[in-house]
Amino acid sequence: MKSKAPKQIEYGFNEMPPPGQLLILSLQHVMLMFVSIGLAIIFAGQINGSTEFTATLVMLSMIAAGIGSIIQSAGFPYIGSGYLCPNICGPSYLSLSLSAAWVGGMPLVRGMIFLTGLVEMAFAPLVHKLKNIFPQFIVGLVVAMVGVSVIRMSVISFFGLEFRADVVRGGDIAIGAISLLVMVFANIWGRGLVRIYCLLIGMVVGWIASFIILPEYFLKLQILKSCPMFALPVIGPEFRHISVRADMLLPFLVIAISGSLKSFGNLLAAQKASQPELKEVDYTRIRKGILADGVATAMAGLLGGLAVDTSSSNIGLAGSTKVLSRWISVGAGVMFILLAFCPKVTWAMSLMPKPVLGASMIFAGCFMISAGLQEMFQETWDSRKTFTVGIALFFGLSTAFLPGLYARTPAYVQAVFTDPLPTSTVLAIILHLLINLDRTVPKMLRRIGLSTTGGHK
Amino acid sequence: MIACSRFSHPLALMRLVAAISALLLVTGCNARRDGDALDLSVYQYRDTRDLVRFAYDAARVLERGGLDSLAAFRAHRNRYRTSEFYLYIYDMHGKNLFHAGMPRLEGRNLSGLSDINGKRVLRLIVQALDDPDNPHGWVHYSWWEPGKFYPVTKSSCHFRVKTPEGEVLFAGAGIDYPHEEKEFVRIAVDGAVALIGKKGAAALAEIADPTSGFNFRDVRVFAFYPDGELLISPVLDDRAVPLRLLECRDEVGNPIFAGAVKRLETQDRVWSVFMARSRYQRQLVKKCLYLRKTRLDGKVICVGAVTDLPQPP
Repeated sequence: MKSKAPKQIEYGFNEMPPPGQLLILSLQHVMLMFVSIGLAIIFAGQINGSTEFTATLVMLSMIAAGIGSIIQSAGFPYIGSGYLCPNICGPSYLSLSLSAAWVGGMPLVRGMIFLTGLVEMAFAPLVHKLKNIFPQFIVGLVVAMVGVSVIRMSVISFFGLEFRADVVRGGDIAIGAISLLVMVFANIWGRGLVRIYCLLIGMVVGWIASFIILPEYFLKLQILKSCPMFALPVIGPEFRHISVRADMLLPFLVIAISGSLKSFGNLLAAQKASQPELKEVDYTRIRKGILADGVATAMAGLLGGLAVDTSSSNIGLAGSTKVLSRWISVGAGVMFILLAFCPKVTWAMSLMPKPVLGASMIFAGCFMISAGLQEMFQETWDSRKTFTVGIALFFGLSTAFLPGLYARTPAYVQAVFTDPLPTSTVLAIILHLLINLDRTVPKMLRRIGLSTTGGHK
Repeated sequence: MIACSRFSHPLALMRLVAAISALLLVTGCNARRDGDALDLSVYQYRDTRDLVRFAYDAARVLERGGLDSLAAFRAHRNRYRTSEFYLYIYDMHGKNLFHAGMPRLEGRNLSGLSDINGKRVLRLIVQALDDPDNPHGWVHYSWWEPGKFYPVTKSSCHFRVKTPEGEVLFAGAGIDYPHEEKEFVRIAVDGAVALIGKKGAAALAEIADPTSGFNFRDVRVFAFYPDGELLISPVLDDRAVPLRLLECRDEVGNPIFAGAVKRLETQDRVWSVFMARSRYQRQLVKKCLYLRKTRLDGKVICVGAVTDLPQPP
């Protein structure tokens, strides 16, 4: 069962760390996973949910993410990638979930998230079909774009911004910079424990710095006084029903496919970090991973939590610390479930200063971007690849640079040009197929016996 | 042999992290705010909070130092002018005593000054300072930046100060292109309800007057009977195309007014969030309806206004 870890890897993906380390390493990942709990709080705030509703939504979302993390990483026979790839509340689902909440309340949110999960599950077996259209450089592009996709959220958090167009405080920048530098320095120059716990150390230092630089972060902790240490979810009427609406199927279908592609990218990144020795993508693990993602999302809908998704930041953290044991993901999942019943701890974590969270995501995202670029340029480069990657990047990144532009495009354009990761992926695949038609078509014709001349040299 | 074999005391680190976390939790839970009379919790944006804090602090300096402090304000003019806002001090008759942004206004009486929309700014400020529902003296109007030649929307807050010499002055500061705060709408609607309580039907014309404090930027205080019959339209004159308010739905189909009126049966005031379309965004944007119940000539009426809500960054 125990695989030999390649050089420089602290814990290989099949290795089990000693219990004490497993606990702290899991905690380090849990701290990063807490970033997404803010989404459940934002969601509840946007629909004017009561405190009770908010607490229950946070709990159920954490339980769903925890179970999802376990399913994804435990190494079950037919489901789960078996990589360190925890689940979190998916940021890409927030906007659409809110629209559903406005139209039909929590029952509709639950129903639509459940259907989204089913779509992802249906997508999983198709992933083998992608085998021929995902050469190594596109895999690298996808992994890099996973890192790019967290830029927006991480930078917004790094600068401590709460609302659009509000002022950015120098204190927040200082807190973010201190956290990030501590993480980076601990990772580069740290030895042993300091290196593998670099994120945790950076978070604690950043949190303490925030109390000194901006005391309001300290004062915010007063809310914890009224939080109970242990609590069970209060299942109100909004969590007892489930419904679907035909007119919301299309947008949720689009987000489901987009989410599947994002998970595809995350799982590829996890595979590249965990099994760098692989010459070709192991699609069986990817398929099982996407299936687990779909099951976790469907389960989140049934439970009454927000949709869950694989976490790019946690994969980045694993890659940068070279601690890749899947048991850490399982441990983080178990911790997440247990902490769901401890509101005081949950709220304390959600009060972590945004610049510290932003620094953590930047730290993790750096690994994803550089790992993807390295992967991409390992192949011999030619002008076909230049245009495939270049055009995919131009239009993929433009969805982040020019969101207002795409808001005025026809609906069918909006459906494809959503976020950098899915847009770049889809475009890269299409362009790769298109640009290589002169090579693939004669090959296909020869295979079916329709052509005997020409062909690719 | 992998590097982890060197780690001999993981539990020690775990204990350290747990101890620090516990310390933070305990000290954080017991933290208290210092005795500060200024409550900024109603404001959602930092820009607004910074502005109020800026004007409030200057007002306290004026209160302590009295008229002598005006010389200090002038001597340290740059301290009271930032890239975002500047301080000014007037007496209650409209005479400018200090202006960090436009020193040429000092010594002049500007009580008759109107903005480009006809709003008598100084008169609105004095009204705001007298309004118990407007604790930070908010006024909204058009102004211009020093050295510029085009109008900008502005929101200013003001604090009344009684100097040790017995003079009553006010200190204020404004921000260009302000964020729409829910508090601004609350002040306008609560003020309208108070005015109706005081003047009855005669208040309606004043509330509908575009130069009054009840109308600013896209905010317009309106009034209607619970059956939907309009007293002041939330949009334009509805004589051409009658507006069926209770049938209006937002972008996701929620009957906002009907829902809010129903909730008013058991409450005195309601906030209803609804979704609107924005040309510049893919997603719908949130707006908010604030509605209050009051009486006019013995009949129940609803008074309200609509505002934008902060958007995620």
